[in-house]
Amino acid sequence: MTASATALAGGIARRLGSVVAVLLGAATLAFLTLQLIPGDPVSVLLGPSNAGSPEVRAEIAREYGFDRPVADQYLHYLGRLLQSDLGQSYQLQRPVRSLIGDQLWPTVQLALAALLLAVVLAVVSAVATAGRRPAFRAVASVWELISASTPSYWVGIVLLTVFSFRFHVFPVAGAEGFASLVLPAVTLALPLTGVLAQVLREGLEAALEQPFVVTARSRGVGRTAVRLRHALRHCAVPLLTLTGWLTGSLIGGAVLVETVFGRPGIGSLVLQAVSAKDMPVVIGVVLLSAFVFVVISTAVELLHPVIDPRLRSA
Amino acid sequence: MRPTLSRLGRTLAVGVSGLLLLSACSSGGDTTAEAAGSGKPVTGGTLTTAVDTEPVSWDIHASTQDVTAEIARGVFDSLVSQDSDGKFHPWLATKWEVSDDFKSYTFHLRDDVTFTDGSKFDASVVKANFDHIVAKETKSLYAANLLGPYTGTEVVDPQTVKVNFSKAFAPFLQAASTTYLGFYSPQALKAGAGKLAAGGPADVGSGPFVFSAYTKGQSATLTRNPDYAWAPETATHTGAAYLDKVVVRFLPTASVRAGALTSGQVQVAKAIPPQNVTALKSTPGFQLISRANPGGNYNLWLNGSLAPLDDVRVRKAIQRGIDVEQDVKTVTFGQYPRAWSPISPTTPDYDKSLEGSWPYDPKLSGQLLDEAGWTGKDAQGYRTKAGKRLTVEWPQLSIQATREGRDVLGQAVQADLKKIGVEVKRPNLDIGTYNTKVYGGKANIIDLSWPRFDPDVLWLFFNSGSAPAKGGINATFLTDPSFDTWTDQGRSTLDEKTRADVYPKVQQRGIDLAVVVPLYTQVSLVGQSDRVKGLTFNASNWLTYYDAWLAKK
Repeated sequence: MTASATALAGGIARRLGSVVAVLLGAATLAFLTLQLIPGDPVSVLLGPSNAGSPEVRAEIAREYGFDRPVADQYLHYLGRLLQSDLGQSYQLQRPVRSLIGDQLWPTVQLALAALLLAVVLAVVSAVATAGRRPAFRAVASVWELISASTPSYWVGIVLLTVFSFRFHVFPVAGAEGFASLVLPAVTLALPLTGVLAQVLREGLEAALEQPFVVTARSRGVGRTAVRLRHALRHCAVPLLTLTGWLTGSLIGGAVLVETVFGRPGIGSLVLQAVSAKDMPVVIGVVLLSAFVFVVISTAVELLHPVIDPRLRSA
Repeated sequence: MRPTLSRLGRTLAVGVSGLLLLSACSSGGDTTAEAAGSGKPVTGGTLTTAVDTEPVSWDIHASTQDVTAEIARGVFDSLVSQDSDGKFHPWLATKWEVSDDFKSYTFHLRDDVTFTDGSKFDASVVKANFDHIVAKETKSLYAANLLGPYTGTEVVDPQTVKVNFSKAFAPFLQAASTTYLGFYSPQALKAGAGKLAAGGPADVGSGPFVFSAYTKGQSATLTRNPDYAWAPETATHTGAAYLDKVVVRFLPTASVRAGALTSGQVQVAKAIPPQNVTALKSTPGFQLISRANPGGNYNLWLNGSLAPLDDVRVRKAIQRGIDVEQDVKTVTFGQYPRAWSPISPTTPDYDKSLEGSWPYDPKLSGQLLDEAGWTGKDAQGYRTKAGKRLTVEWPQLSIQATREGRDVLGQAVQADLKKIGVEVKRPNLDIGTYNTKVYGGKANIIDLSWPRFDPDVLWLFFNSGSAPAKGGINATFLTDPSFDTWTDQGRSTLDEKTRADVYPKVQQRGIDLAVVVPLYTQVSLVGQSDRVKGLTFNASNWLTYYDAWLAKK
């Protein structure tokens, strides 16, 4: 009892420790990047499209403490992060935290919709084709390979051209209502579907060769039923791990999708920030991505023993 | 102050800047695209416009961007308005007096103007706004420059203000006509810079539209102000705007903007790419408006202080050795006219006599290079002198080089100059290195465009007071007494005769000294549905929605 409680506490402490380490690493890297960009830091912060009078520049230098030693600046920066103060965007003259907060929900919506769609499509495709006729399987494989490797930018424009410009089924862009979510979600989901389905099929085929499948079939369980009830469960752990990993990459995908479809969100925020060299915003999004990544991988790790009892003792 | 080096390489669509002047806010009658002969204006409807850039900051007193000023024009009024001939007309000020020394301007204000939050516009509001612009906390990146040597505003009486400057400041009327010196309501000013920059209902003005909603990354919505009754004389009607609503959609992808237009989801699309122009023109129900932008063309600036371009013969050889006509035509699909002067034909005091005066002449280039002593030839076919190859360096910044196909145009220039034996090196630099090199005078060639509706842009290009070391953009790196005299004269007067005398001289001397190779005039390519009527452009080629209306389907 006490021993297992200690072990549990230790496990939690270890996980928390790694979360803090990853975030600290990301924050440090972001800080170093800002230091390493050539040129005067005030100019870099102001970006290429801004001049700034001597007064404005002095104000920024003071605010950021550029006149102080680098070590000092670093500690000050970490201190602000501890109070969850991500600083102020020079371009937008607003706190970075509220900017990200405002843009988070549309991206989360898009990411969840894409993720759900990708998992459903991948499961359907893999269950339908694993271990069946080679021709059938080959067609699915090729399709998945194409969807995994086609740039989502291009997919988005093709989808828009067909379903929005020609047939007027969906609106061109925006984030008003369900209809405007369909095309962006499909665009973002397609590459994920390709990767997930390929991995899932491999796993299913390996599982179908296991003795328990023969046992189940001999009890009269149907071909599809055995896939869904037994084999699929075997692939759940790798599927979950991969999905978690891919979720982290969704912010990157959102940059392109949100731009093409003129949707609000973190993606369009970061794109604007990068092109305007708005470093406080860029750093804020980097930290957010690191945070999301850590949270998801921790959640995936915690879910493993739930899905696969064999992992519980380990 | 102004242009740090970093913004030098900046280009048109992103913003306008500079010391003093910008563009006007007139919706000049002669620039009306479709106002006349299209039937009686209809009230109502929503006009949706697709633009390629989204404002970074909505604070007109802090922003540097064209797109901010363009959209916010519907929300904010100015003291005066300027037509596309450069003349000034009453707006919130009914009349004004300028002191002989150009150090103070007295404005007599309308007494019937109210902001959309109900507060009154009067002299104290003018003072509060101008003081707000120059306040350190505003961190104004542009409007404060437009106010020049501002020392303060005196409230003479509720309907009269006197704006004072420490030095003669002739460009002030032009500055006062821009959105950047427009007026926030007193309550809006109190909301603070962050609220103003964030856009939306906090941005309260006295204009024909209310800034009713903004979704970052998606759209901005303006709604009609029904009480509007103080349109500038440059508009084609008076009273409230015709449109119920204007929705500006931010669609950075060109093909998406074009598709949204032709599928009827937007009625106006800005920045149609040149390669799509022909297709759009042949689509029934749509038209394309192509208008040359005012201000500095897209020019190559040759650094006259650094070898080998410190020799005018070598500069001249380069100027005449580039097949500008052909290169520009190919790269811009014939949509952008080649340029002959450092400023565009739509800028006041443009020198038309330069047209055709320096045609492509590689033979002459060869002779000039021979005279300059570059007579040898190396194995790659480049000219040499005393064993040294004739090489010039023209650095590029990737984000700017790809705009408008400038990277491809650069390759064409490189190929042309190779034919006359000049090697052009184009290192791709990060912004820090680029700024240090280019503005430190260590590059031979700089490319840049600089829109502005005033020939005073020539001061920025040629006056030694605008040397990069002083934060300016004089990329010739030459100190030339004639340039200084003429551009100083031009900016210290509003006398049309003087300006019409000195500004053409500056353009000619720039070409004669071969410190500039004008390449093309940027053109606004706007696609619109035939239903859209009365959409106007101001002198800066910004869309003005006040006179626009939508015909019934």
